[in-house]
Amino acid sequence: MMSRRCLLFLSLLFFLGSNLWGDEFKFPLKSGSVRFAVIGDMGTGASEQYQVAQRMAEVHQRFPFDFVIMLGDNIYGGKRPSDFEKKFETPYKSLLDGGVKFYASLGNHDSPNERFYKLFNMNGANYYSFKKGNTRFIALDSNYLDPKQLSWLQSQLQNEGSGEWKICYFHHPLYSSARAHGPSTDLRLLLEPLFTRYGVDVVFSGHEHVYERIRPQKNVYYFIEGASGQLRLGNLKKDDITEKGFDSDRSFILVEIVGDQMYFETVSRAGDTVDAGVIHRPVPQKTAVAAAGDLSSALMVGMKVSWSAAPIVL
Amino acid sequence: MDSRTTKRLPQFVLLLALLLAWGWNLRALAATDPKDEAAEDTAGFKEFMTHVKDYMHVHKSAESSLPALRPTDRPELILEHQQKLAQNIRKARPHARRGDLFTHHAREAFRHAIYTEFHGPPAPHAKATLKQGDPLPEVHLRVNQEYPKTAPFTTVPPTLLLKFPKLPDELTYRIVGHDLVLYDVKANLAVDALRGVIP
Repeated sequence: MMSRRCLLFLSLLFFLGSNLWGDEFKFPLKSGSVRFAVIGDMGTGASEQYQVAQRMAEVHQRFPFDFVIMLGDNIYGGKRPSDFEKKFETPYKSLLDGGVKFYASLGNHDSPNERFYKLFNMNGANYYSFKKGNTRFIALDSNYLDPKQLSWLQSQLQNEGSGEWKICYFHHPLYSSARAHGPSTDLRLLLEPLFTRYGVDVVFSGHEHVYERIRPQKNVYYFIEGASGQLRLGNLKKDDITEKGFDSDRSFILVEIVGDQMYFETVSRAGDTVDAGVIHRPVPQKTAVAAAGDLSSALMVGMKVSWSAAPIVL
Repeated sequence: MDSRTTKRLPQFVLLLALLLAWGWNLRALAATDPKDEAAEDTAGFKEFMTHVKDYMHVHKSAESSLPALRPTDRPELILEHQQKLAQNIRKARPHARRGDLFTHHAREAFRHAIYTEFHGPPAPHAKATLKQGDPLPEVHLRVNQEYPKTAPFTTVPPTLLLKFPKLPDELTYRIVGHDLVLYDVKANLAVDALRGVIP
């Protein structure tokens, strides 16, 4: 009798163990990898922004990302020095103190003169680029995409080697299933041909106060993260383009790029993983994704699937 | 007025209206020659850019007395620069008013470009862009007025920007409600405004 109970107990332990740790997603945390976080529409100064920032600081202990890209609406409302303190410096203090750099793009609620604020690392420009490891980051000003910015973008993309990751980020999404604003099709008319022609791999945008991962569009992968402070509860109207959506709480994204693979995880304010996966950067031009929980899009574009869905623990 | 005149009054009004409409159509027809329109637009934009150049002298002179604005971790310095620059520009053009840069010819050229944008193939996209960017329907910026600090910026449809003359870095076009505003970025100031041209 005892031995049967013992067997049952051991089986239960094995079952629990295999579920908890067997298929877990883990960031590789490889030396020299490009590690960053993504936040958008966060600068409210409200308690929810502070809670997300606190969660980011906790995660940073286990997943030490080097920098954060900001998708705009960095400082809502007033732009007094006290606003910069309340809506940026204080909530992210522990990350800033820990040497984490923030690279901002401008949203429709931002003053264009935020580009002179040193902690946003824009160096006085409303659009700019920087390189980390094997990845070129390009921050655009989608409030004002004039011909000068377009030709600058083209030259940036032209000059980048095909072996590098190209990540663009800006405020207004080219694709979106949220009800509040919808996609910026006017921007899409001008930007998408450049993205596809020059092999942009991933695009991050905000503006919609939700999280959404879009199915690859013309081999470009689009994320919306506009809920790192703001939230439009239940605003997503998931449709054919939605791969994964989350509109019931605030969130932020963690990313690690190792060689031709981009690992990502989206974490809610409560610390839950709401999405995760890995994007494989095919050689030389195609980009595809293996997403935790849904492999259909990956199969559609003929990619290699590296693992299946599982709860993710950092 | 006798009863005969009273009876004929509606006929007279109708005739007058017909004549006016005919005249209006002739004028419109005369103006719709595409070559003429293009030439007028080019001249209008050229005139506008001459005034932009003049404004830039004012801007540069107003900024020359201030310490150069470089990236700083002290937001108060950014705000101070913005406010002092705005103050200096206001002092330098105290009598500035609407139409100084958007002159009559310039206005026609901009109106035509905007009409083409919002009635041509890009119209649905451009209209969606305006709606998408939290528009401010009730706001009219006056010349030399600061852009309201808490108000969002409406995205200017990029396909519309392709139709406008290119501006120096210090200036941008902004859409505020139904107005097109020429905006000094560093000074956060309205330089000129074209009322009611945006649908």
